[in-house]
Amino acid sequence: MSVIDSVIRQPLVHGDKTYHDVTTDICRPLENKPTKLWWIGFVLSFLFFILLVVTLTITTAVGIGVWHINKTIMWGWDITNFVFWIGIGHAGTLISAILLLFRQKWRMSINRSAEAMTIFAVLCAAIFPFFHMGRIWVGIYWVFPIPNAFGSLWVNFNSPLLWDVFAISTYFSVSLIFWYLGLIPDIATVRDRTKSKIRKYWYNFFSMGWTGSARTWSRYEIASLILAGISTPLVLSVHSVVSMDFATSILPGWHTTIFPPYFVAGAIFSGFGMVLTLLLIARKVLNYQEYITINHLEAMAKILMLTGTLVGLAYITEFFIAWYSGVEYEQYAFLNRAFGPYWWAYWTMMSCNLIAPQVFWFKWARTTPWFLFMLSIIVNVGMWFERFVIIVTSLHRDYLTSSWAMYSPSWVEICIFFGTFGLFFTCFFLFCRFLPIINMSEVKSIIKNRE
Amino acid sequence: MFCFSKSIDKRNLIYGVFDDENKLINTVETVREKGIEIFDCFTPFPVHHLDTAMGISRSKLSVAAFICGATGFGLGLLLQFYMMVFDWPMNIGGKPTSFRMLPSMVPVVFECTILCTAFGLAILFFIRNKMGHGVVPDILDLRQTDDKLLIAFDSDKLTKYNIEELNTILKEKGALEINKYSGKYAVKNK
Repeated sequence: MSVIDSVIRQPLVHGDKTYHDVTTDICRPLENKPTKLWWIGFVLSFLFFILLVVTLTITTAVGIGVWHINKTIMWGWDITNFVFWIGIGHAGTLISAILLLFRQKWRMSINRSAEAMTIFAVLCAAIFPFFHMGRIWVGIYWVFPIPNAFGSLWVNFNSPLLWDVFAISTYFSVSLIFWYLGLIPDIATVRDRTKSKIRKYWYNFFSMGWTGSARTWSRYEIASLILAGISTPLVLSVHSVVSMDFATSILPGWHTTIFPPYFVAGAIFSGFGMVLTLLLIARKVLNYQEYITINHLEAMAKILMLTGTLVGLAYITEFFIAWYSGVEYEQYAFLNRAFGPYWWAYWTMMSCNLIAPQVFWFKWARTTPWFLFMLSIIVNVGMWFERFVIIVTSLHRDYLTSSWAMYSPSWVEICIFFGTFGLFFTCFFLFCRFLPIINMSEVKSIIKNRE
Repeated sequence: MFCFSKSIDKRNLIYGVFDDENKLINTVETVREKGIEIFDCFTPFPVHHLDTAMGISRSKLSVAAFICGATGFGLGLLLQFYMMVFDWPMNIGGKPTSFRMLPSMVPVVFECTILCTAFGLAILFFIRNKMGHGVVPDILDLRQTDDKLLIAFDSDKLTKYNIEELNTILKEKGALEINKYSGKYAVKNK
């Protein structure tokens, strides 16, 4: 085995780092006092988090009536936000699992933060269906197969909503294990550097006695390969199951067999949008431009373009199939999406998701950070609108003309949505403060090899 | 909580310090050719082919993971058959509650399989490595989790000739230092 010096490929990490440089650079935010920017960001997110707690308390105390969902549009912003957050989570698993199986080494400096993003996003997502159940204190019996006092009734395994419960709780716990396993060697590094007693205690506690023995590494590599192998079908299944919440119903606009792959592509698209948003800030604020290089950004932009185009193809296919099926209800549902009362949502979705990512055909667009940042926000907005379009425009005009209705969110719904951003960023800021956001051990293994 | 102590304190270890993975692998190969027993290597990052060079056989964790997964598969089926078919069949929307509901059991069975595989694998991994929250780590040198790669030998198992030979080999292969384990490690919680 020798050092591979490729002439055609750029090194994955710039700046001719030594192993020790990697350790000091990545441990820096953990070992120094937080910067002013960190405090501003943290306090701001925490305020939004408080808003979340307050509005969720109002929802629980008063009831679901404080939301503006109605009999016709029984799923509004809540399920839109749920699908939005779950989708965001997908990029983390895609980067760490699927790119590991494909031996894509550029994943190594971004997988840690992307996986953290997955976990926080799933946490945010879970809030919505849970609180939508109204009486959350009995809700646990409706979603988990627990023996109960209501006449030994079990949950309904024929329902996709229950599959979703299983899919999302599995996804959350498996992602957590995968993330934690990856963190252990790095926590050990921090443990061996720190001087403070309290910090040493906790880093020692969570490092589980890691030494970096060759035998452990050998098993570790096998374990992460297996975890990647099972996470790959898992991540594909989670959003497929989410899409079945819609696809197994008979509502025009939902009753579509294209949903599972279409949702998965959309999830990866929105997830990469969010990863880009986060990493573009993180690399600037923490000064990690040499680790998260322009090449990383470019690779992510290419995935955005691919998945964005896939999603666009799905939109067009849906339209075509609605026409081709000859079912007038289907045809009406899609025409109503594009030209009905919610036309603005539909065209926002189309332009943000299908048209906007096409700029990534140009190298300049893929390699200019400020432009990428803008585009990543547009992608996030577009994907939120996609879920809004699917849910609200399909529901608001159903088979019965007498039940047609309109929907706009109440202030509580809006506050809960922005509150979840508070929760998400609070978690993320704490993560940046206490854990290394770049996988040190993996980056060390690639800084000498250029492949 | 697992509380295995691995105690390297009782051993008389000597170790060579390297700063390059290729030099380390080279050393491992040479040392093994001479028939000198290696105690272990410690690296801050996974070094590919180090395990094969050291003659570590492939871990059976993958077999264990398969068994865990098969258990999860069975449990998932059992759970649904018991609840939906045997204990309390519920007719909701006319959907089947007999063996004919097998297709709609697929997602939950799948998730149970994955869940059991992941948890089983992680737990077995920790047990196999004697890892657990609060275990005092076997650290020879604080730099082994930062930037140095160590190769350690148990000097009780080496003859005097071996030790001298070892010193020359290690120096020849580019070891920065050759140290004796002094039994000091800064993390002592107990």
